[in-house]
Amino acid sequence: MKGKTNYKYSYKKIPRNILYGMGMIVAITFFTVMLNLFLFSFALYHFYKLDAKYISGGEIMDELTPTEDGYVLSEAMSEKLAEENQWAMLLDENGREVWSEGKPVEVGDSYTQADIARMTRWYLKGYPVRLRVWDDRIMVVGMQRDVMWKYNIEMTISWMDFVKWVWAYFLIINIVWIVVLTAVFIRRFMKNREQTRIEWIAGISHDIRTPLSMVMGYADTLERNGELSEEARQQAAVIRHQSLVMKELIADLNLTSQLEYSMQPFRKEEVRPAEVLRSIVAAFLNDNPEGTMEIALEIAQGAEQLTMRADRQLLLRAFRNLIGNSMRHSGQEEAVSMQISLWREKRKCCIRFEDKGVGYSEEVLRGLQSRSKNDANPNIRGLEIVKKIVQAHGGRVRFGNRKEGGSFCEMWFLRS
Amino acid sequence: MNLYDYKILLVDDEETLRNMVSGFLQRAGFLHVTVAGSCREAEAQFAKVTPHLVLLDVMLPDGDGFSLLKRLRENSEVPVIFLSARDEDESRLRGLGLGADDYITKPFLPEELILRVTAVLKRVYRVKDVREEEAITLGSCLVDLGSGVVYRNRDGEDGGDETKADSVDAEVTLTAKEYAIIQKLAQERGRIVTIDALCDAVWQEGNFGYENTLVVHIRRLREKIEEDPSHPQHLLTVRGLGYRLV
Repeated sequence: MKGKTNYKYSYKKIPRNILYGMGMIVAITFFTVMLNLFLFSFALYHFYKLDAKYISGGEIMDELTPTEDGYVLSEAMSEKLAEENQWAMLLDENGREVWSEGKPVEVGDSYTQADIARMTRWYLKGYPVRLRVWDDRIMVVGMQRDVMWKYNIEMTISWMDFVKWVWAYFLIINIVWIVVLTAVFIRRFMKNREQTRIEWIAGISHDIRTPLSMVMGYADTLERNGELSEEARQQAAVIRHQSLVMKELIADLNLTSQLEYSMQPFRKEEVRPAEVLRSIVAAFLNDNPEGTMEIALEIAQGAEQLTMRADRQLLLRAFRNLIGNSMRHSGQEEAVSMQISLWREKRKCCIRFEDKGVGYSEEVLRGLQSRSKNDANPNIRGLEIVKKIVQAHGGRVRFGNRKEGGSFCEMWFLRS
Repeated sequence: MNLYDYKILLVDDEETLRNMVSGFLQRAGFLHVTVAGSCREAEAQFAKVTPHLVLLDVMLPDGDGFSLLKRLRENSEVPVIFLSARDEDESRLRGLGLGADDYITKPFLPEELILRVTAVLKRVYRVKDVREEEAITLGSCLVDLGSGVVYRNRDGEDGGDETKADSVDAEVTLTAKEYAIIQKLAQERGRIVTIDALCDAVWQEGNFGYENTLVVHIRRLREKIEEDPSHPQHLLTVRGLGYRLV
């Protein structure tokens, strides 16, 4: 059997629209993460900028010198306290005030143990305070009202262990969510856009077909009209022929646009490729004068029973295009000579078309492999459709020239 | 009833197209062509003329051809051929068992239209065609497709031991399967008929795996119609594809 299993495919495997969508998802995720980082650092910056700090009790203690008349604070620290709008007092072991600086009037000068316990946790008469124990004395540093918010926080160790990971979960869940959301929206958007395009093309071709019916029908009538001159009838024949060409073009345009976006309403059914090949070969042999065409159909052992899920009409279309292409490029040989083989390879169903014609030109091969759309070249268009039909069925296709001369087209599909 | 006496109703909203198509039909010999431009008009005309065939455009100003067909089907089995300007309709027509007999995609050549119309009329009303001969001649034998009997003229053979007076002629009856095969081949005489198409004709749906049985039937058939079954002159094998009756 044909031992060619290592296919090399230079064309893109992922459709353009999916690549585009994936790019969008990556971009949107990236920008969302960047935006969050920016907002977070912005908030952090403001936190530090607006932060008010207690002057530490220790610092004040260092600047406080006991004298016979009581404690005396250094000039510098006194100024610093005033500047920061803070105040301080020192309590002895009995909770009595022994020294204070800038203390608001509402604040008393003697404190019970309960008072002290309360102020460590909450406020002292509405003033936020911080306590520092120094031997048996307590230094209280206070701020103005409504500057500090404080609350006692207590958490279980296990919760804290969990919290260590929470940020990571948070991040992952967020990214996943962004990706999913973006994907859904992009898909919807692309689908709409594609749908509009397909409908537009379908609409145009519909609108062309009716007037073209008239052109074709009347041209045909004129061509058969014996009263007209031979020249006029010749001209009518040209019009008729060209309108048939236009009909083909419209059908191709429609099919290409639908296949491009895999929107072709596939009527997939169990198809036996052997049967499909036989019917298309028989049709070609029947429709062409005997002797002008020679097609050898070779169905390998075990390939007769092969089945695959496919749209039979589309498969026929692809095969028809390939045989038609070989007919057009049969070269100097008088008869078209083709060989079509069908064989089975593991899970695959392989079909190979080859002819002894002139082969594909460099331009055509390049066009078939390039990523850019090259539908303008009529030689390529028919083969592009073959490629799209095979791809729409999840198969792969390869075009090339045989060493012995002539072209080949090899394709495989997953068998069912 | 003559083929051309059948009444045809043509429904299309485009007047120019309507004129053209009815012109084609009349030139082809159909004498009774009625036209309608909308679903409403079509239903009225349908009730009035009771046509034998309806040519129906899919897109109509007051509805689509598919739903019109459904309404017509409620109390009529009239054959319908769709005229469609969209490829999408094609898949719909293929997919749904709408009960349409055929469809033609615009643009079409007059020849194609006439061919389809006559084909449907012949099939539905069983009008005999000149082409569908009652009997076919294959060399020295005559196959009567009406009765399924092969009349063999043994002139060319060594008929020395024949004793009856009418010994020149031998009658062989075809089995049902052989009859189906020869009928299919005769319909497509001169053309290659694939083994799949033959199996379809003989065993209908789900004929997969009958290829070998087909070979057996073909061999028996050759024994009945060929002078030298091992060197067939009429029922030819087309290698890898099928058979052809020449």
